[in-house]
Amino acid sequence: MQITKEKNGNALTISVSGRVDTVTAPELEKFINENIDGVTDLVLDLKEMNYTSSAGLRIILKTQKLMNKQGVMKIVNVQSDVMEVFEMTGFVDIMTIE
Amino acid sequence: MKKNKKSTTLAASVIRGIVTALVLFSLLVSVIGFIWFAESLKSEYAKSTYRMADTAATLIDGDNLLKYVNEGIDEQYHEVKEKLGIFCRKIYVTMIYVIVVDTSDYGRFQSFYNTVYNEVDNTDYDEWEPGHKRDTTNDDYRMKYKAIYEGKSDYETVYRLHITDGKKQHITTLVPVKNSSGEVVGILCMQRPVSSLRNQMLQFLSTIVFIALILSAVTAIIVTKRNKKNFVAPIQKIAEETVRFSSGDMIAGKLGEISHVEEIRNLANSIDKMEEDMIHYIENLTSVTAEKERIGAELDIAKTIQENSIPNIFPAFPERNDFDIFASMTPAKEVGGDFYNFFLVDDDHLALVIADVSGKGVPAALFMMVTNIIISDRTHMGGTPAEILAFTNKNICEHNKADMFVTVWLGILELSTGKMIAANAGHDDPAICRKDGSFEIVKNKRGLVIGAMDGVVYKDFEIQLNKGDKFFLYTDGLPEATNADEKMITIDGMLKILNCHKEKSPMEILNGINESVKQFVGDASQFDDLTMLCVEYKDEECNNILTLDATVENLRRVLSFVDDLLEKNDCPMKTQMQIDLSVEEIYVNIANYAYGEGVGKAEISFENNNGEITITFRDSGTPYNPLDKADPDITLSAEERDIGGLGIFMTKKNMDRVSYEYKDGQNVLTMKKHL
Repeated sequence: MQITKEKNGNALTISVSGRVDTVTAPELEKFINENIDGVTDLVLDLKEMNYTSSAGLRIILKTQKLMNKQGVMKIVNVQSDVMEVFEMTGFVDIMTIE
Repeated sequence: MKKNKKSTTLAASVIRGIVTALVLFSLLVSVIGFIWFAESLKSEYAKSTYRMADTAATLIDGDNLLKYVNEGIDEQYHEVKEKLGIFCRKIYVTMIYVIVVDTSDYGRFQSFYNTVYNEVDNTDYDEWEPGHKRDTTNDDYRMKYKAIYEGKSDYETVYRLHITDGKKQHITTLVPVKNSSGEVVGILCMQRPVSSLRNQMLQFLSTIVFIALILSAVTAIIVTKRNKKNFVAPIQKIAEETVRFSSGDMIAGKLGEISHVEEIRNLANSIDKMEEDMIHYIENLTSVTAEKERIGAELDIAKTIQENSIPNIFPAFPERNDFDIFASMTPAKEVGGDFYNFFLVDDDHLALVIADVSGKGVPAALFMMVTNIIISDRTHMGGTPAEILAFTNKNICEHNKADMFVTVWLGILELSTGKMIAANAGHDDPAICRKDGSFEIVKNKRGLVIGAMDGVVYKDFEIQLNKGDKFFLYTDGLPEATNADEKMITIDGMLKILNCHKEKSPMEILNGINESVKQFVGDASQFDDLTMLCVEYKDEECNNILTLDATVENLRRVLSFVDDLLEKNDCPMKTQMQIDLSVEEIYVNIANYAYGEGVGKAEISFENNNGEITITFRDSGTPYNPLDKADPDITLSAEERDIGGLGIFMTKKNMDRVSYEYKDGQNVLTMKKHL
């Protein structure tokens, strides 16, 4: 798993690539925690993310809850396999996925 | 508890000592002088009194005295008494009286002349009438009366110096009164006060004490001054210098020749030298410590380089299912001379190396690096182990200035057949555990150690490994590990430990041995490097079962195990991801919860029955059915939704069937999916 970020004022884009599983998820959580302060416009770019387990979903949901309080969150470029997971778990209904 | 003595200075204590000694001495001299003076004064006083009394006695007519006893006094009596009174006043004594003693027992006497002069000593005596009779006052008088009457002495003196009945201190001198025929008929007693005597004595005493004290004081001052110059001042200087130096002012001060007293001069010189030496030592220590730190840092880097010069990431070949390998190296010092190595020469050949360089530490580590590089390079070029060892020996010998040597065991395992060609340059024989058997030593031809002699020829030998066999290489640090009682593990002990773990994976076997060695050695320090390598030539059937410690860290191993099998079974990518996801959820659940805080085993088995994949998880942890948990409500809003609980739900959704049972003390979770 690799994580990159692009910050533009209060807008932040976090790009995640590779596998988000139980082993790598804590790293993503830490990364988001360290960068989320003051962000009102968050974009999660999952173009290169080809796998996520419930550990990854947990963090996405947690981040969504946080962003509901301080701004908006948008998930973009979701691969079809991952999209199936989002659909299966009802994430598509509670998140903005483009 | 001992009371702390009050702190004092050297000068004060020296002066105190001198003054005390002198005062004691002068007091002693005064007392002795006084006693001597008092005795001679007393005796002189008694003598002069005697002479006065003797003179007075000439006034008394002894014949008349006897007459008065029998017939009473006459005219002449008054005349004599008158003279006696004048004499008494002239010579300034308290009392003169003449007595006639009853000689039967000297217990009574009769007084005739009695003249008193009270002014002398402010007394209040009354004069006795002539013929006044009295009993003798005490035995002292009685003895003396007797001595006078019997003519044994010319005079006697009675000292009344300790009087308690209110009378004044005095002496009484007794002289005989004789008649015309020379017989003693009476005694003249003269009482003389001692106040003047006492006054003289007191005057003497005060004078002598005064002089002694003055002399003491003068002596004390002189001695103190001399002491101060010769001892106290130099010692104070020394003390000041040491206080200055020890308070952290680390500059060598020079005391120099501060005294002509040899001991003090030596002390001062020693302190000068000690300060210089100490500064020198501290400088030395500082640079040595810095150097040590630098070497320590370099050793740390060297350790990292050495550790990374051999494969140390496990599983080393996660893509290979036909063998499993694990190795460990524990140097006695930061860096060691032992090493192992293993690498695939090609897809079908696995090279195994274990070696032990003579000596330990940095020299051994450098030698080890060189040897390892030569062996691995030469192995990649092809050839049999015997050829490789001969080549290595030749190269090492050419540059072996330090006369070091290294024992090497090198084997090349043909993975498709299990045939291993090996050669041994003086190394310990390996151990092998046949499938369903026990570990035992495999003895083979052993050649000379590498580096000892140029031109040595090594011989190849063959060991056939069968599926399920385990092969174990080690250095002598293992059988020769020694505990505090100087007992070694020995080869037999090593085999025993090995057999305790023989059912386990190579990694678990080595961890088990390391644990056992640690327990055996106890507090004794590790003397030799300890290096081990274990390879399992895996049974094909076992390839569908993975047993490991149920930890999150092992997740990747589980996934690669499953992925390898799925790929072999031509599983579509999408299905593989779904299965991966389910495997992760179930496995992580076991890793996190089955054994509480502890670590236990998990077994994952894989089956393919005509396109239906069955994956079964087994663990011996707390009985728990994860499928019992209610599915999360996925229609709720983000705010209302629980963060967890999605894993099992997704597993159920992704797999065709998921079932749980608790059987034979194990949680058994089975998931099925059609490809």
